[in-house]
Amino acid sequence: MTTKDILKIVLNLVVIYLIGGAILSIVHAKTSPVRFHNNEAAEQKALKLLIPDADRIDKMGDWIIHDRQGKYWKAVKGDETIGYIILSYGKGYSSYIKTLIAVDMDFRVIKIEILSHKETPGLGDEILVPAWKDQFKGKEYDRIKLVKGDTKEYIQSITGVTISARAVTDDAVKKGVKFLIDTVKEGGAPHVSSH
Amino acid sequence: MSAATEEQVSYWELIRNGILKENTIFRLALSLCPAIAVTNNLKNGFFMGVAVVVVQVMVNLTISAMRNFIHPRIRLPIFMLVISGWVTIVNLVMDAAVPDVYKDVGLYIQLIVAFASILARAEMFASKNTVVPSVFDGIGMGTGFFIALMIISFFREVVGKGQVWGIPIIDAKPLLILILPAGGFFAVGILMAAFNWMYAKYFSSGGQSH
Repeated sequence: MTTKDILKIVLNLVVIYLIGGAILSIVHAKTSPVRFHNNEAAEQKALKLLIPDADRIDKMGDWIIHDRQGKYWKAVKGDETIGYIILSYGKGYSSYIKTLIAVDMDFRVIKIEILSHKETPGLGDEILVPAWKDQFKGKEYDRIKLVKGDTKEYIQSITGVTISARAVTDDAVKKGVKFLIDTVKEGGAPHVSSH
Repeated sequence: MSAATEEQVSYWELIRNGILKENTIFRLALSLCPAIAVTNNLKNGFFMGVAVVVVQVMVNLTISAMRNFIHPRIRLPIFMLVISGWVTIVNLVMDAAVPDVYKDVGLYIQLIVAFASILARAEMFASKNTVVPSVFDGIGMGTGFFIALMIISFFREVVGKGQVWGIPIIDAKPLLILILPAGGFFAVGILMAAFNWMYAKYFSSGGQSH
């Protein structure tokens, strides 16, 4: 290799990195506000869907679950608090399943929503089916429990997707509701729990 | 290979080559990993296919345009840079433009960087040809890949889940295994055999210079 070759290689790489970097940063700059806005809008929309009666949903604080940052909100109608929403994570088969849980003032589940997961594609998606998620409606803390076979009292598992279903039920939802009960029920000051 | 070195090759022939004769998945058996990973439903297969067409065309365009500028010793690293650059752009744009779809296929879009087929076309075709044929080669190869993904994902979703594009068409899951990774191998194998049988029967005779 001659000096000329080396210079050409260096020049090649420098020019390509510069051009590529410039193009990527432009695309990133153009798209990131859109993506941020999409995420924000999706979050507010998801929260509103959980408690449609609420006039507004105010953030109360953060909490930590599986080393991830969860959040919790209160749903307010007029001057009255009508429920709470918590963002929780469940440790599934191949991912942490990001879940929103809305509870009423008696800490019974109103509705849950799975925001994202990376479980086995096609199969883990079964936890997104409304009929399955609807089972959580009206369940209090003691009845949030995954069981196999027919059940009205608890949450029925899904064939072939047990690990993901358990992660949502016994991990994300149960721990989330527990945290809300511990944190906001006594009217005490919200604190960050590590559980 | 054959088409790449010919001077007087028509653009239609380039596209046809990518779809039939050198179909990435069914004939060259390249990029089988994504062909199995993303094809358990039609929607994923569709958007993956679209992303691959875009990346393949843009990569061929970029590389053929700057092929005389690149030093041969570092052509492969540069191809990789170009490919990952375009994949990142497609990735960011899809995330912003179609967030709902991106939620499902985003993970796989990033995988396009590692597609053997894209690098192979950059090396075998775009680095030796001018811009226009390279673009048509990209369209051909990309479309071939797109069609293969559509066929595989349609087959797997119907037989595995009884659905098309997420809409149930039969009230049963005839062969659940087909949407699992293991079933992907079966599906690709069966369809590859069918494709080659049809290719041998209807397309291989005549119309070819050698």
